[in-house]
Amino acid sequence: MARAGSAAAILLRNPRKTAAARSVPVPLWYRAAAFALLLRNPRKTAAARSVPVPLWYRAAAFALLILSTTVTMAQTQNLAATASAPSSAGFVGGDACKTCHADIWSNFYKNPHYKSIASGKETPERTGCEGCHGPAKQHLEARGGKATIPHAFSLMEPKQVLEDCLGCHARDFARANIRRSEHTLNDVACTSCHSIHHSPTPKYLLAKTQKDLCYSCHATIRAQFDMPSKHRVNEGFMQCTDCHNPHGGFADTWGMAQRPRMMEQAVTNEEPCLKCHVDKRGPFVYEHPSVHVEGCEICHNPHGSMNSKLLKRPVVFTVCLECHNGVGIGISGTRNAGVDVQSTRHNMLDPKFQKCTTCHVRIHGSDADQYFLR
Amino acid sequence: MTAMLKLFFFFAAFFAVGIALQAQQEVAPTTEPVGPPRGETMDGYNITQSFELGYRFKAVGGDEGMYRSVDDIGNGIRLLGSSLSVNSKDGHGHLFDEIVLNTIGLGNDNYQSAVLRIQKNGLYRYDMTWRLNAYYNPGLDVAGGLHLEDTIRRLQDHDLTLLPQSKIRFRLGYSRSSEDGPALSTAQEFDLNGAGLPVFTNVRRQWNEYRLGTDLDLAGFKLTLTRRWDFFKDDTPATSAGVIPAVSITGNAADQTVLQQFQRSQPIHGSNPGWLGNLFTRRKLWGVNARMTYVSGHRDFALDELASGIGQFGTPASRQIVVGGDANRPELAGDFSVSLFPTERLTVVNNTSITSNRIDGNSSYSEFVTGLNLGTTLYFRYMGVRTVSNSTDLNYRVKKWIGFYAGYHYSDRLIRTIEGLDIPAFANASENDVYQVSNHLNSATVGIRIRPWKPLTFNLDGEAGRANFPLTPVSDRRYHSINGRADYRVKRFQFSTAYREVYNLNAPFFFSTYISHSRRYSANASWVPNNWFSLDASYAKIHLDTRAGIAFFVNLGNGPRGMALPSYYISNIHAANLAAHFAIRKRADLLVGYTITKDTGDGRSSPVAAADVNNPVQSLLDSVQTFPLTYQAPMARLSIRITPKVRWNAGWQFYNYGEEFHILGYDQNYHAHTGYTSVLWSF
Repeated sequence: MARAGSAAAILLRNPRKTAAARSVPVPLWYRAAAFALLLRNPRKTAAARSVPVPLWYRAAAFALLILSTTVTMAQTQNLAATASAPSSAGFVGGDACKTCHADIWSNFYKNPHYKSIASGKETPERTGCEGCHGPAKQHLEARGGKATIPHAFSLMEPKQVLEDCLGCHARDFARANIRRSEHTLNDVACTSCHSIHHSPTPKYLLAKTQKDLCYSCHATIRAQFDMPSKHRVNEGFMQCTDCHNPHGGFADTWGMAQRPRMMEQAVTNEEPCLKCHVDKRGPFVYEHPSVHVEGCEICHNPHGSMNSKLLKRPVVFTVCLECHNGVGIGISGTRNAGVDVQSTRHNMLDPKFQKCTTCHVRIHGSDADQYFLR
Repeated sequence: MTAMLKLFFFFAAFFAVGIALQAQQEVAPTTEPVGPPRGETMDGYNITQSFELGYRFKAVGGDEGMYRSVDDIGNGIRLLGSSLSVNSKDGHGHLFDEIVLNTIGLGNDNYQSAVLRIQKNGLYRYDMTWRLNAYYNPGLDVAGGLHLEDTIRRLQDHDLTLLPQSKIRFRLGYSRSSEDGPALSTAQEFDLNGAGLPVFTNVRRQWNEYRLGTDLDLAGFKLTLTRRWDFFKDDTPATSAGVIPAVSITGNAADQTVLQQFQRSQPIHGSNPGWLGNLFTRRKLWGVNARMTYVSGHRDFALDELASGIGQFGTPASRQIVVGGDANRPELAGDFSVSLFPTERLTVVNNTSITSNRIDGNSSYSEFVTGLNLGTTLYFRYMGVRTVSNSTDLNYRVKKWIGFYAGYHYSDRLIRTIEGLDIPAFANASENDVYQVSNHLNSATVGIRIRPWKPLTFNLDGEAGRANFPLTPVSDRRYHSINGRADYRVKRFQFSTAYREVYNLNAPFFFSTYISHSRRYSANASWVPNNWFSLDASYAKIHLDTRAGIAFFVNLGNGPRGMALPSYYISNIHAANLAAHFAIRKRADLLVGYTITKDTGDGRSSPVAAADVNNPVQSLLDSVQTFPLTYQAPMARLSIRITPKVRWNAGWQFYNYGEEFHILGYDQNYHAHTGYTSVLWSF
């Protein structure tokens, strides 16, 4: 029991001799070794050791290991938090930075972040260079070096970068869903797209022009915009952010509200398509349910397509008949009869019936005709 | 000049070259810089500006309608691009601290835009975006050219924020969209057996939105409130092509392919006022975000249509239709999101969303056919959709070099419809069809991120979802997706490659099973070895194959006969981009690039298989299974620095579009040489 007691003490206490040294948490391997010691059969003689260690003893040892591990983790986090928490005594003001970083400082007045300096009312931890990079005193005393900058963005982990930027920018409505955005889940943090000091774009401090920035990761999307019929992103008429929110979006109000979650809703809660294509919004007396319920992508490829109206197929009737095949009585559709099959008057071998929207002109919804004829 | 300034100009030039390089798809406007890099200083403001005035030209061979629909670069002088930035040097300008204005294509281009920002620190910020699109689309593959559009679309957005850096901010906004111009359309006459006959329309659509809002920071909470009003109207009339009554435009009095007289007036006026509220707070260990929006849509409409011509039996026919009614659509959406940060390495986000929207409308439909009054029918339609969804995402970084994430999503959707009609002239002539269905979706995601080395990152994730009662046969039902990415980034070289697949299997019942397989591969690289050369290249392959069961009717001479057959579609798109930039002795810049997009389909050499040539039905389905095409655009641009404030530019871009099989009989192939010459100057 005495040996067990000493092993438990070893497991929990910090063996370092001085108070300063004890501020560094005990490494996990040390605690694991103490746990192994605890698991040994403590009995003194071989004959006594033939009796196995009781289960309560091993359970207690395991509980002590969990407890000590938690303590180590908490100590580690506290240490990190202490190291990153700004001390007002460490702030020296942005003027000190321009001595060495003249190239950055000389153009900083053009940077939107200069507002914090011009304001004169912000606290030191939200002003100028130190507002992002942390107190500069240690960096000055060390005469430079990235390791002495509390928040050196090129060394920080993506989550740390995000936390730093959200310290000021969290209040923007556009970033309400940034924690669960696809970009954040894939460690695409703020500095992946924004270049605070060397941005070539007139707004938003992007690292490149917007489409080139997005294309650098989403090459297959560039391939879609290289199709003959497309939204005019390459020509500069539209931008990716006309439809998408790279910081994450609210749950879709169409379809089953599932992934992806990067759409910028228009009119506060609709598909972004309807911001420009207002005539398709309705409300119509005769809604085309797939359009309103599932969304525009049920028929269209909004990035680019071989079809002049950005349909998913080159020919109209294949789009229509993939749904209108009479299937689904009680399985698909929005009526008891399921999804309508086409009329017996239609002869698909006659070219006029191969272009459905020649007659069904109001295919997105009609006020006057249940078959969308006018 | 001090060594530090020399170093500054070196890096400025370096980044300018590197930035100008990135994969420009269009040869103009010129992106090379002009003017002093640090601008001019005047009265406490720093000013940089540039203008590019030039002339574009084109020479087109082949289908010019398709060229105008795809590329649409015309001849003439235009302001290819301009930029102006004015910044106060101390942040305390008199009326403003910043003006930024950028334009492209003003004057004659078919895609024009102007973006403006004016702000004074702490007092106001004004943003404006104006855009114009001259839209031309013959739509041969949609309606055989009968829905040709040649319209102008103008969009503008204005936003003014007062006290942008204070705890209370006020926002005013205005947006407008209009579409005007001639277009062709069709009217289906004179009965349900009739065809869509050509009519002429003068598109007139307009939408205006007004916004008023406020943002408030109080006690760690941030509240956003927005009130909006929007008004839409469509007053597009339709007429026949100026035909004198009783005389056919073709001179054939019995021509059944045109309308002798047609007039349709169909004014539609609607409004969608709404509210948005958002409450957000973030603490050290948790954060909450709640959003609510409500939009009540309303729309009034009327239709008065008169058509006369030759009916299906070769005799004169006429029809008049009168419709009036309105529709409403109140929409409510709410989101509640809780984020937990129990440790520095762990983030958990749970989001619940509820949306409810209802559409109900009624219309009175009256029809007169060749003098016979068919009476009035009253229609009522209702569709309600309510969706509740909940998702939980967990993001855990085990070590600096490895992290995991996982998520689970559930959504429940209820759809209810009512279709009713009543014929007042007949007692008890009413119908009411009520239907309700509930859909559920469960999906889960897991992913891993690995960074074994600082410049190298790997991501891999997968998602699987199961839904019951999908709304349509092509909706997601049993799907999975796998995404993988590898990224290598150092200062002068970037390389990334990605893979994504999405497989969906829907409705495994009899012939109507829908199966979709999509696989995407991509690789792109960017290399900037020095300040006078850079290279950008990418390749992507997008594979898609689908199988759907379709049902239709054909008439092989012995009456309509129902057919139920599988419909396949196969696409293999290969897209490659290459661009190289050379800076020649600081006097000239040369950009050469090449873009090719090629859909090889399934590799077949003819649209219809030899075995199906004598089967008209299978021949039709064979011919639409794949759509091989090639679209390529090499380009080159030379920009010569005449003086530090003037550059002369010339560029050439060739477009070549070719379809291997001319689907539905249309040959839309074209080739076009386009170019421009311009002067880029600063003063």
